[in-house]
Amino acid sequence: MPLLRRIANLFTRSRGDREIDAELCAHIDLRIDDNLAAGMSPEAARRDAMLRFGNPAAMRERVTAADTALLLSNIASDIRYAFRQLRRFPVFAVTAILTLALGIGATTAIFTVMNAVLLRTMPVANPREMVYLHVPNGQPYMAFNTGDSETSFSLPAFEALRQDRVAFSEVMAFAPLSIDQKIAVRTGGAAPEQAAGEMVSGNFFSGLGIGMARGRGFTADDEQQHAPVAVLSYAYWTRSFSRSPSALGQTMYVKGIPFTIVGIAPESFPGVESGAFTDFWIPLQRRAELNPWGHSPGLTLYGSPTWWCLRLIARLAPGMDAQRAVAQAIPAFLAAAYTPMGATDPKRPKITMAAVEARGVQGLGDNDREPMMILMALVTLVLIIACANVAMLIVARNASRQRDFSLRMALGAQRGTLLRQLMVESGLLVCSGSLLGWLFAVSAARALAAWSQLEVNLAPDTDVLLFACAVSIAAALVFGLAPLRTVTNAPVTAALRATQATSYQRGRAGGAALAVQVALCFTLLTAAGLLLRTLVNYQRTSLGMKAGQALVFGVTPQNIAGNDARFAFYRTLLDRMRSLPGVESATLVEVRLGNGWSNNDEPTVDGVTHSFDQVPLRTNNVGPDFLHVLGIPLLEGRDIEDRDTQTAPRVVVVNETFVKKLLPNTNPIGHQLGHPNDRPYTIVGVAKDSKYRSVDEQPRAMAYYPYTQTGNAPVTLQVELRTTGEPRTLIASAAQAVHGMNPNLSLEKPMTQAAVFEDSYAQSSLFARLAAFFGMLAALLVGIGLYGTLSYRISRRTTEIGVRMALGARRTEVLRIVMGESLRIACVGAAIGVPLALLAGHFMSSMLYGLAPWDAFTFFAALVGVAAISVAAAYAPARRASSIDPMQALRSE
Amino acid sequence: MAKNDLQGTLDLLVLKTLAQLGELHGYGIVLHIQRASDELLRVEEGSLYPALHRMEQSGWIGAAWALTETGRKAKYYKLTAAGRRQLELAEKSFDQLVRGVRAMLRYA
Repeated sequence: MPLLRRIANLFTRSRGDREIDAELCAHIDLRIDDNLAAGMSPEAARRDAMLRFGNPAAMRERVTAADTALLLSNIASDIRYAFRQLRRFPVFAVTAILTLALGIGATTAIFTVMNAVLLRTMPVANPREMVYLHVPNGQPYMAFNTGDSETSFSLPAFEALRQDRVAFSEVMAFAPLSIDQKIAVRTGGAAPEQAAGEMVSGNFFSGLGIGMARGRGFTADDEQQHAPVAVLSYAYWTRSFSRSPSALGQTMYVKGIPFTIVGIAPESFPGVESGAFTDFWIPLQRRAELNPWGHSPGLTLYGSPTWWCLRLIARLAPGMDAQRAVAQAIPAFLAAAYTPMGATDPKRPKITMAAVEARGVQGLGDNDREPMMILMALVTLVLIIACANVAMLIVARNASRQRDFSLRMALGAQRGTLLRQLMVESGLLVCSGSLLGWLFAVSAARALAAWSQLEVNLAPDTDVLLFACAVSIAAALVFGLAPLRTVTNAPVTAALRATQATSYQRGRAGGAALAVQVALCFTLLTAAGLLLRTLVNYQRTSLGMKAGQALVFGVTPQNIAGNDARFAFYRTLLDRMRSLPGVESATLVEVRLGNGWSNNDEPTVDGVTHSFDQVPLRTNNVGPDFLHVLGIPLLEGRDIEDRDTQTAPRVVVVNETFVKKLLPNTNPIGHQLGHPNDRPYTIVGVAKDSKYRSVDEQPRAMAYYPYTQTGNAPVTLQVELRTTGEPRTLIASAAQAVHGMNPNLSLEKPMTQAAVFEDSYAQSSLFARLAAFFGMLAALLVGIGLYGTLSYRISRRTTEIGVRMALGARRTEVLRIVMGESLRIACVGAAIGVPLALLAGHFMSSMLYGLAPWDAFTFFAALVGVAAISVAAAYAPARRASSIDPMQALRSE
Repeated sequence: MAKNDLQGTLDLLVLKTLAQLGELHGYGIVLHIQRASDELLRVEEGSLYPALHRMEQSGWIGAAWALTETGRKAKYYKLTAAGRRQLELAEKSFDQLVRGVRAMLRYA
């Protein structure tokens, strides 16, 4: 078995080496013996033996090569050698490994998030068959939706799609129990807590193909009978029941209504809600308290066929693709969609339907995809800079070992051997860098998830692992090729020369690589600058209210039936809140300001209906003193007051934009707003414009109705408390007061009103910070690269500089030469970087707020940054160059 | 004959030498090739060893350390059964080569 013997030889190298030496020596000695016997002198005998034998070192190499398979051979010793070489230059090794680790780690971390958010399939059986159903152009005209129109379907539409067994083998419906996802849940004797609940169709678990970890899933009967049963997520079961098997069969109160726990979902299934984990599921319910989205009973799941409130996920029938399935299903879908609408305007385009592959987080539009892609692109630039930097480090270091290589080749080493050793060294760097980078990525991804408040499973999966491996292999190839030039260029004769001419050729190539790095760095700095300025713009945008002094939390009354009772509850709640110590004033509001949701309507002013397309009217239902509590200035008339009760005359407060658009050039007080065929509301006040959904919205016409006068009492109201101190100190006493009204009640998402608005640009804020981090990383790497390259060049030009100084060059001139070199590289880099940055800005324009993608200030700042880096990096080498002692420099060669 | 031209036939010469003389060390093989070829074939002595080691790895020859007549330690090689078969093959292909070249030269 020759191969086995060769491999065995790998491990017995040193013994084998000694044996070969002994054999070759024996040969030469035998020849000398014969020569002596033939009468030669000892010197002549030895000389003749050596001449006949040839180069002993080369022969030994060739014998060794014959002894072992060529590639396998020496790897162990090469690795040992590479370790020794790296240990000899610890600064080089540590810099290279850290640089690589940061580059690979940051890229892998961002990819982990991107994979989870955009790419990963669902953890269900045959995930490639799963599609989310969307209505890209929204609902039929005048149908109601939930505010998330693209993903919402009506119950009749769902039923029609579910019947179509040709297109889909299963269609599952799901809807959150609350607009904020979380609702009050109580188990056993425990205090109530907030949990994310969802109501789903009976085929939800069976259609997804999810086997339960324990117990059972739902059945068609459960849906038909609206059975009071619940399935818990594995995480919630862990959190609230410590994975106790006795959880099955226990009663769980959802908004005070009892449900029996019948199953636990598997650990791998976090739910299908977009970017959030679901804690429990119940079958579709008919009770008004459990209306989907926690919507007020004005619209109900089973009572309002024009309310589009269900989200759908479907499994394609075998052999179907998404497009054919939609084509097959659409006639029945359209019929079901339009029948409840009655007569429709034939001029309006019909709605459409789309089936979107179920990957990543559902319902992400291009607006969410784009930032993720851009972030990935930015981090890739960082990776390129990091790789280029390490490659340059390796090349520079190998160049300084040129003489070493030449000498070894003169002594008979083969080019192949040298190349192999250099590749092993590069490989070692990449391996250590990748391993460290992987560790870095795992923790960074976890930090990112916490930071972004994105509830997705970020455990690195095989895709991420493959990605990291691919990046590392690409890096290894680049660095493997880097030494090629060094070795192929090493002239054997160089070892014999006393001095080396400065190589301008190589200098130019290194300069070009650096300039490209500077260009990428400039691009990154510009991107970071644009995003940071966007963040500042968000922070500086006036909300039109004093949001920092208001505390907001939701309260959902439980076990209270009937409108009057609920109105009475809210009235009592408000009174208790007003009497809390530290509360300056208090009010109620239906839609929490700044959380991204809004109520929208078509305005009918003084009997004239304006279409929504022309003047979209935003509305909110509010309690007394609303403007005062939120600090929204009142321009005319009065605020909503305590006297605006259910039975009082209907009133409404509008905003500036409303007046500008709908009642220009008149006194708006006393005009009428409402719906056709309904008692109108009289305008009693005008408020200044303020933000409603989010910080970046444009002002829109707005109407504030008293919550008492818009029909049904809301299912949930937000309490707003105004205080002179820190609003969050009120949480404890407010919770106690609410608890005192009903032990099932808890405060829902208590936070300052300012914090709600801050959350509305949390994504921008996260991206800005990440981009700033990448920009700084890039600047640091480029700085190190410049410093290293300049220092290396100075060290090679010591003689030249010495000569110049001996001939009368002044120190400042030397300083200028070095600084000039660095600045020249920076200038070329910036020249390439400006168009690159403009391109990047163009792609990022959707992420920017309040500034143009070609924002001059940002570009100027990035330019200053690049200049600062190049000056800082050049300073130390320049000082060193200018302090060269001419005599010493000349003597040293 | 130039030394590089021996490359292809070196294996054959070594195998034949060992077949003729039994156990022999590298130096002895060199001497035998020179003597038996009437000094026509001269090997660069060192280049013999890579060939010997390659053949040893291929299992054509075996090796053992032993003392020479002059009392020096040297590595002795001898033919294995596989080596004998290899020798037959190599001889056959060499014969063919020689016949072919000769036929070429005689062609008028």
